[in-house]
Amino acid sequence: MSQESKIDRLKDRGAMFAKARAFFAQRNVLEVDCPVLSGAAPVDAHIDIIETRCNRYLHSSVEYAMKRLLAQGIGDIYQLSHVFREGEFGRLHNPEFTMVEWYRRNFTYTGLIEETIDFIYLFLGPIPSRCLSYKEALDTYAKDAVPPPEGAEWTPDTFTAYRMAFVVQPHLGKDELTVITHFPPAQAALGRMTTVGGELVAERFEIFYKGIELANGSHELCNPVEQRARLHLANAQRQADNKSALPLDENFLSALQLGLPDCCGVAVGFDRLMLLRHNAESLADILPFAWKEA
Amino acid sequence: MAQISTNEFRSGVKVEIEGEPYNIVSNEFVKPGKGQPFNRVKLRHLKTGRVIERTFKSGEKLNEADVNETKMRMLYKEADGVIFMDDQTYDQITIPNSLIADKDQWLMEEVLYDVVFYKGEPIEVVPPTFMEMVITETAPGLRGDTSGRVLKPAMTNSGAKIQVPIFCNEGDKIKVDTRTGDYVSRI
Repeated sequence: MSQESKIDRLKDRGAMFAKARAFFAQRNVLEVDCPVLSGAAPVDAHIDIIETRCNRYLHSSVEYAMKRLLAQGIGDIYQLSHVFREGEFGRLHNPEFTMVEWYRRNFTYTGLIEETIDFIYLFLGPIPSRCLSYKEALDTYAKDAVPPPEGAEWTPDTFTAYRMAFVVQPHLGKDELTVITHFPPAQAALGRMTTVGGELVAERFEIFYKGIELANGSHELCNPVEQRARLHLANAQRQADNKSALPLDENFLSALQLGLPDCCGVAVGFDRLMLLRHNAESLADILPFAWKEA
Repeated sequence: MAQISTNEFRSGVKVEIEGEPYNIVSNEFVKPGKGQPFNRVKLRHLKTGRVIERTFKSGEKLNEADVNETKMRMLYKEADGVIFMDDQTYDQITIPNSLIADKDQWLMEEVLYDVVFYKGEPIEVVPPTFMEMVITETAPGLRGDTSGRVLKPAMTNSGAKIQVPIFCNEGDKIKVDTRTGDYVSRI
């Protein structure tokens, strides 16, 4: 890591907040500040929510609230916000972290990938980039991967996740930003399904640099029936993993009923961009106070 | 037996894998944003010292190793082992030389050591971090240099060969860090 002090890095962090806001102002994307605490939580199989004593949950992303505003016709929006994920602690994880999330109406999936890369350039300067589908990435880097001995009882989905995280991911973004596109249906998250080369895939993408995941975006699912089914599926997976099911956000689901405009959205990890910008080892090096000192 | 989950795997926690005891060295959390979280864990075998790496799904559990530590007093050395006594129960045990290995240099009569037991069998002897000992052999002390930066070899009454500052003399009482074998100070 460079010899600059923590205070220098925090001054740069402040400056980057301003640059991020200028980026969106220039593109006529409106800043919103949806609540951090809400009555229902985003339901993800593998994201655990921090619950408070007043029957409210700390948001793990601003997605549902922003989509409610989109359904009400607000137009293109972004939020620069702290989000919370229980138990996610490590060199590249902090249970409270800063996320930039934005939604664009009538944007194509590739149009949003390009805009996300431009946003990343604000932090890291121009770097070459390449696109690789999820399937191509597995075939290129993990064709012959075998599960570790301790993974004998893993499901095929778990093994795929293992190959992606441990075998493929270290290769992604060594010298260039790598965009992984077209995720398998089991990992659609809130992305729309489409058919590519006869195979059903989700219009979802992630962007990596130096093996670190920086962004997750998709062509957003607008169908309320399918959305409800996916939330139930995520809850079923949670229960299979001995976790509690989470209440569904009916406000979010009725917003989809009302009609979410055709849009693409992406969430970018602000802290990880700062980590790469400063060649830091750990998020603790660039955050004012990381989890253990907060 | 108590089970512990990957999120409690901290350095120093002792677990059992395939019936063998391990000490957790490090635990790295690996998680794709929306995907299955994993923990990549480094573990050191408690008896052999061999380090292995394992990958667990976050939330998976392992049995806690039945390991405990007892303070024991070293009594004397025999040909094939060293005799220790529990001050509370007066129980005496012989710890074989094979287990003592390079800890032998820190063994002194009447000193209390942590003896680690796994399922009732001794597996390790841990000396106190700092021990006081007497220099039994070294070149004569040189006056003048008091910086402590210039070192010379010395032997202590425990049998340890260490480096001490050149102003030290035979018969000097010194404090030594047994983790590193470094001289700390003269007493």
